[in-house]
Amino acid sequence: MRWHKRLLAAGAVTAVTLTAAACAGGKVRGAEDSPQPGSTTAPAGGAADSTFVYVPNLDVVTDWDPASSYSNEIIAMQNIYESLTRYNPQTKKTEPRLASSWTSSPDGKKWTFTLREGAKFHTGKPVDAAAAKAAIERTMKEGQGAAYIWGAVDKIEAKDATTLEFTLKYPAPLDLISSAGYASYIYDTTAASGDLKKWFGEGHDAGSGPYTIESWQKGKETELTLTAFDGYWGGWNGPHYKKVAFRVTPELTTAWQLLQRGEVTFVQRLNAQLFAQAGGTDTVQTSQTPSFQNLLVLLNTADGPLKDVKLRQAVQKAIDYDGLVAALKGSGVAAGGLVPEGLLGAAPGMTPKQDLAGAEALLKEAGYGPGGKRLELTLTYAQGDADQELLVTLLSSALDKLGVTLSAKPLQWTTQWDQGKAKDPSKRQDIFVMYWFPDYADAYSWFVNVFHGEKDVQFNLSYLKDEAVDKQIDELPALTATDQAGAEKAYADLQNKIINEKAAVAVPYVQNYQRAFAKTVQGYVDNPAYPNVVFVYDLKPGA
Amino acid sequence: MPRYLIRRLGQALLVVAGVIVLTFAVMRLVPGDPAVAYAGPKATAAELAEARRRFGLDEPLPVQLWNYVRDLLGGDWGTSLHTRQPVRDDLLQAFPASLELVGAALIIALAAGIPLGIAAARYKGRLPDLSVRLSSMLAVSVPVFWLALALQTVFASGLGWFPVAGEYDASLDRTSPLHLYTNITAVDALITGNWPILTSTLSHLVLPALVIAAYPAGVVAQMTRAALIEESSRDHARLERALGFGETAVLTRFALRPALNPVLSLIALVFAYSIVNGFLVEAVFNWPGLGRYAADSIRSLDTPAIAGVTLLVAVLYVAANLAVDLLQGVVDPRVRAR
Repeated sequence: MRWHKRLLAAGAVTAVTLTAAACAGGKVRGAEDSPQPGSTTAPAGGAADSTFVYVPNLDVVTDWDPASSYSNEIIAMQNIYESLTRYNPQTKKTEPRLASSWTSSPDGKKWTFTLREGAKFHTGKPVDAAAAKAAIERTMKEGQGAAYIWGAVDKIEAKDATTLEFTLKYPAPLDLISSAGYASYIYDTTAASGDLKKWFGEGHDAGSGPYTIESWQKGKETELTLTAFDGYWGGWNGPHYKKVAFRVTPELTTAWQLLQRGEVTFVQRLNAQLFAQAGGTDTVQTSQTPSFQNLLVLLNTADGPLKDVKLRQAVQKAIDYDGLVAALKGSGVAAGGLVPEGLLGAAPGMTPKQDLAGAEALLKEAGYGPGGKRLELTLTYAQGDADQELLVTLLSSALDKLGVTLSAKPLQWTTQWDQGKAKDPSKRQDIFVMYWFPDYADAYSWFVNVFHGEKDVQFNLSYLKDEAVDKQIDELPALTATDQAGAEKAYADLQNKIINEKAAVAVPYVQNYQRAFAKTVQGYVDNPAYPNVVFVYDLKPGA
Repeated sequence: MPRYLIRRLGQALLVVAGVIVLTFAVMRLVPGDPAVAYAGPKATAAELAEARRRFGLDEPLPVQLWNYVRDLLGGDWGTSLHTRQPVRDDLLQAFPASLELVGAALIIALAAGIPLGIAAARYKGRLPDLSVRLSSMLAVSVPVFWLALALQTVFASGLGWFPVAGEYDASLDRTSPLHLYTNITAVDALITGNWPILTSTLSHLVLPALVIAAYPAGVVAQMTRAALIEESSRDHARLERALGFGETAVLTRFALRPALNPVLSLIALVFAYSIVNGFLVEAVFNWPGLGRYAADSIRSLDTPAIAGVTLLVAVLYVAANLAVDLLQGVVDPRVRAR
């Protein structure tokens, strides 16, 4: 055999081997992963113009189990599953979802929800109190992801088909908790005959929401398609999107071109330049909303030079808040205190300003400043985060003029966090920069996690230990549940203490959501309590 | 020959072993705790400990290395922290898509590169030669990311001749579902006669394949030209000319076959190179292949997945090198003695 014939033969053998290796045995694409919808889940139409195409930049789903799901899939899950209530950032209150009304006892320890009549799961079973109890109890028992939000619950009783009663160990705002983005889903725990977790993992759903999974193809460009659930309690009268497709697009420029061409409906995120371009495009509309995620500059209250409150206040005053927000070009908005706008407890009058003269005076009082001793501070922040880098650049140049040397280290989160938690306080940093966001629409998350005294450091990376502050934080859930005006006052008071008196933190900005979507979409309102979620059922497809 | 084969195979295995140790070291030495990546930034100490136990991160390093190698050999490439699926399954899903794209690119590269190389050799020193040399130099040196964006902006977004991104029109999954045999969409559509998916895939394939084809097309054109010029100066070519064959006939009928030997052996190496070169192209065109998987893995610090992709690419390189060496050994016995 001449060599090129051998080459040909070898090529043929390779091709056959590769084919055999990759052979999927004649399966139909998507059939392996996608569920076989039951008789109740027949697609309710499929006209191309009523498909809402969402463009995420990463994988759509990593965990299909509504009990443990705690990642990107929230965008799809909130359209498939429902919770008892939903948070409205405009009114700062919860609204009916699967529960049509609810009451709480004066001490905030007993909550009774009345469930909506006529709601059904995609499996065909009714959404009654027993089913809701089973779902929440399973989520609590699994104890994964955000399941801790139910920590206050002592007992759940299904009094009758529509009455669900919770008894709590301590007072808590259960209407807020049951509106959480994660772990609050009500689902049919009897959906699978075998292992429910495994069944979910195969791409099935047991929700009651307007949409159900049509196909899920891990790794494909259109990873997930949802289709209208005919038996949805809200009905399908009037114009609605009948399908939702998730088209994974890592490159922002590609996402932008797809939107311009009208191939997709909604782009989750663009960069500042493309966002500006989108604003001037006829077929596209944009929306910009502050999120519930803000940047915290945590100052070490326990050790090192910043133990002196004057120096911490000097650092707070050195930050160029307005310059930073301007440089962020729309991806951030000035913060007014620790609690972002749209949450109970937001204190709008607290927007900070740069005050270099004030900072210099404070430094002088502490024995530092221009002409005096040079102060050296260490700072850690997230590697690769351009926005944090901007803050660090502006801060170190401002501090440098004040005779303060800032040695800033960009680190991977785990390294940064480990250093912050170091048992030996001398190994910790003076300034720790990180983002925070709540798992449900409650400002309590910032206070209990970041500023409550801890035995072992977790997220209290300003190392604040103040019994009076702790006591006030501990009272917040009960106040939120029983006396919202009192809660507002407590939040304002706490923010004043933590930011102004203790100077444990500076809050430079709140991140902004910048969306671009087709002009034809009607009724879109961003709800930062559900990060990046579009409630597609609420939208109208226009012409 | 058997001794040469065994020696080269042994060397290749050594390289693969080295790559395994290296990927393991990178996985363990990069800052960032895989347990945190898996359990999430707000995980409790107990959840972290459970994740560490689950991935064997609580064992001493040599034991971890031993377990890693044992699992690899047993076909267990670890679990992705991000997709939470076995890395091997993820790779088996993503690899055929990359293979499809690179395969198409190589077909384009050969179809364009060889005739251009012939034309350049035929008109050596004249305008066609100069333009082929210039364009192949451009094709080899232009940044692939730039080319991808440029073609996308002009031919997809601007002129609308091709789709902007994607593998095929996803709505076809409902109207004409595809039966999978090889997991390579175009091949499966062809062998099952699924014309809507085939035409949709081909139109989606054109732009990304063209971008990836640029480099190999340039290399093949230059290589073909050089080899043809060398062949056509040999004695047999002079004889053929003396016998009255025209220049084109001398090149295509007699010189081309021997001249293609080095070109074909080059293709194996270019194939492995193109898989990696295609990573950025896949990201720009949303092609659901290894590149997008690697990009997602890096973005989410998914070390087992990054290690899996690295290992697969390294094995492809080694295999391609081995194939070239063995082929050369078959063609030219002198190589075996080296």
